[in-house]
Amino acid sequence: MKKIYSWIIMALLICTFSISALAAGDSPRVVDDADLLSSSEEKELANKLDKISEKHQVDVVVVTVDDIGSSSVRDYADDYYDYNGYGYGSEYDGVLLLINMSGRDWYISTCGYGIKAFTDFGIDYIGNQITPELGDGKYAKAFDEFADLADTFIQSAKDGKPIRSKKDLPKGPFPWLKAICGSFLIALLIAIIRILCLFGELKSVRKQERADYYTKEGSMHVTDRREFFLYRKVDRTKKPESSGSGSSTHVSSSGRTHGGGGGKF
Amino acid sequence: MEYKCPCCGGGINFDSGIQKMKCPYCDTEFEMETLQSFDNELRTDGDEDLTWNKATNAQWMEGELDGLKTYGCQSCGAEIVADETLGASKCPYCDSPIVMKAQFAGDLKPDYVIPFKLDKKAATDKLKEHLSNKKLLPKIFKDQNHIDEVKGVYVPFWLFDADANARIRYRATKVRHWSDSQYMYKETSYYAVMRGGNISFNTIPVDGSSKMADDLMESIEPFNFQEAVPFQSAYLAGYLADRYDVDSDASIGRANDRVRKSTEVAFARTVEGYSTVIPETTNIRLSNGKVRYALYPVWILNTSWNGEKYTFAMNGQTGKFVGNLPADKSLAVKYFFKTLGILGVAFTAIARLLFMFI
Repeated sequence: MKKIYSWIIMALLICTFSISALAAGDSPRVVDDADLLSSSEEKELANKLDKISEKHQVDVVVVTVDDIGSSSVRDYADDYYDYNGYGYGSEYDGVLLLINMSGRDWYISTCGYGIKAFTDFGIDYIGNQITPELGDGKYAKAFDEFADLADTFIQSAKDGKPIRSKKDLPKGPFPWLKAICGSFLIALLIAIIRILCLFGELKSVRKQERADYYTKEGSMHVTDRREFFLYRKVDRTKKPESSGSGSSTHVSSSGRTHGGGGGKF
Repeated sequence: MEYKCPCCGGGINFDSGIQKMKCPYCDTEFEMETLQSFDNELRTDGDEDLTWNKATNAQWMEGELDGLKTYGCQSCGAEIVADETLGASKCPYCDSPIVMKAQFAGDLKPDYVIPFKLDKKAATDKLKEHLSNKKLLPKIFKDQNHIDEVKGVYVPFWLFDADANARIRYRATKVRHWSDSQYMYKETSYYAVMRGGNISFNTIPVDGSSKMADDLMESIEPFNFQEAVPFQSAYLAGYLADRYDVDSDASIGRANDRVRKSTEVAFARTVEGYSTVIPETTNIRLSNGKVRYALYPVWILNTSWNGEKYTFAMNGQTGKFVGNLPADKSLAVKYFFKTLGILGVAFTAIARLLFMFI
């Protein structure tokens, strides 16, 4: 009996470990080859990324390098992701942020569920948010922001609302200043109208423009009635664009499908 | 010969490329028949004739003028006609005392008079009503003192009758909207609309006293002529009458303006099925015009407050009461900020609530 017990426990332990091994891969989620972070910053970031990745079962990775040689940023990022075993599940769900210092490039590569959660619009938006910090050299802050945004985007996608355009972005706190200004502006308009009405109450003397009352009943006869067409003009205005973006994808060297986008900082 | 463009007024040429008439200034294209019709209309727009015939007024009969005296106001120079039994009284225009000057003579005899239908009490009641429920009226204005000094005055009016023959040209539009996948379209079609016809007017009143503000008198309209009777001086007893000092010729302009406006509107109502209808030219010819002289009953109250003079008038036949009132500026400010504050807070609260749900 005891023997069977221990075998079962062994099996269970092996399973749990292999699952997390499969999940986490052989590589850590923060690879700071360009040495942009201090060791404490690196540890903090790694903890955060681990938490987020495990929560959603989607790998969120940050990689910094000094140089990528002759490859394109896109290929380097995709390949780094594929050949280092990142990604959960059969689709290798995950997202990777690559920073290349020699070209001052940033690139986000997505795979599996990552393609769904990070649309072209979404990647663009994240890029816009972190580029100022990257440009200022505040790398820890930039990556922290990336982590938070990744968390939000994946959560939105899991809730069934992937972020495709401006109106999908999360709301933020209630804008008190704007609300108060707007409300008082409208109130001002109404107050002005009310005061004008109250002043109008006081005026009762006005000229009579017409003599309608003095028209003899039934005296009006229309004897001549003609209408003809003169000319016509057509105006047209272009309709505004709507909807939002999806995710564009490509196939990398490993044969897997990746989404992604990047820019300079 | 050159045709005028109905759109911009420039000279139109024949464009051989499109085989149509085209205006080189605004690029609009027209059919030849359209231009010919429009040109015809421009030619036959015609002249106006807005003259009136003056009625021959009756002469005063023997003894009719006996009881009537002219009273003069020392302060503002007004001349009032009243019964000789009128005791000491105050001028209806400036509240100063008036004195009997002379036997009333000369002038035209009024053709008609509408006798006073409402008495002094009705006038004071109406005044109280007029002053009530006006939020910006200074409290002190409702002081009891002024309310008793209401005077019944017969105001001279010129009454205009005529048949008008009108020819009006309107510019009308029809608008159509549609859209396809890329654009939204709006098509505006312009039409020339002609209306001609007759319409008659009776007893349009124009104030014949320069002392009585015209807009004040127009505000208490309408007067119902059905209740007018041939004039007799007996009706004046107990009331004041003003003498006319504006000639009927001088009043014609006002009558004509009103005739024109009413005619335009009346005929515009017969134009249906268009998005907009705007009169372009109006031509009116009057015939069978008649001018008569009548006295209409008006209750007048003059008041000064804070250095300004205020005049109230009530139609002695229908009871319509008018008169501009002063505003208490501090009350206005108070109401303004009260409204602003309450609504501002209310809207912010609503915004906050809505934010939780969108």
